[in-house]
Amino acid sequence: MDEPDVVVSTVLGSCISVCLFDNEARVGGMNHFLLGEPSVSQALLPQDLQRYGLHAMEILINGMMKRGASRNRLRAHLYGGANIVAGLGRIGSQNADFARRFLETEGIILGHVDVGGKHARRVEFLPFEGKSRCKTVAHAPTSETVLKALPPTAELELF
Amino acid sequence: MPAAAAIRVMVVDDQASMRAMIRRALQDLGFKDVRDRGSASEALTDVRNERVHLIISDYNMPDMDGLQLLEEVRKDPVIGKTVFIMLTGSSDRDLVQKAAALGVNNYVVKPFAPAALKEKIERVFGALT
Repeated sequence: MDEPDVVVSTVLGSCISVCLFDNEARVGGMNHFLLGEPSVSQALLPQDLQRYGLHAMEILINGMMKRGASRNRLRAHLYGGANIVAGLGRIGSQNADFARRFLETEGIILGHVDVGGKHARRVEFLPFEGKSRCKTVAHAPTSETVLKALPPTAELELF
Repeated sequence: MPAAAAIRVMVVDDQASMRAMIRRALQDLGFKDVRDRGSASEALTDVRNERVHLIISDYNMPDMDGLQLLEEVRKDPVIGKTVFIMLTGSSDRDLVQKAAALGVNNYVVKPFAPAALKEKIERVFGALT
């Protein structure tokens, strides 16, 4: 969608957001995922798989390509992956590691990166320009809140 | 019952991470000969040079998509009967009908768990050993 003044935003704790854009096609999108990729042996329902970055990234990339983006022009900003709750391991760091590996594997050039730490973040992304900004906030959404917000299908809205 | 180890597979998906995930799932099922390509045209050249028993292809790919690959495979008198499983997004309802008309053997809806892939493969080949 070619709306230059649209801004999308999200709040991240241990979750990751990849802001993906193609500056030539003026197409961009943002996702928000809870985990990186499932292990092969995990028995998961399809609706559970939507929370994983491996699938969230494919949905985002395919959606952008349908709107004229080209894979070799994609650039990304990366945010989130904080380790906020002590005693829950380093899920945030693992998510950030997955996102970096994914983008490197797919040959997508990284721009701004703000991951890790112990604080939640609010990210604002201007898809038309490929610009983003990020600041720390007091509270992150819980996983239950994020799961309730996820649509029941893999439909996405791009700008 | 066919042995998974005896089945040659070609995985086609423009996303390297997805190819890697499918490869791991297939190897976990006992498949030993798993090739993969990031483009349908490269995969088509490969399978024409050396036949495989099974093609697992994504639909959404730039240049040649999975449906076009299926059509090219089915037109070929040498490789036309290769088992073909299509990977489709949840919104590609029309795709399933078009693929069925072209002779796809089965399809798997993304996102999918490895167990779903196993089930679809066994529906075509029978229970794997």
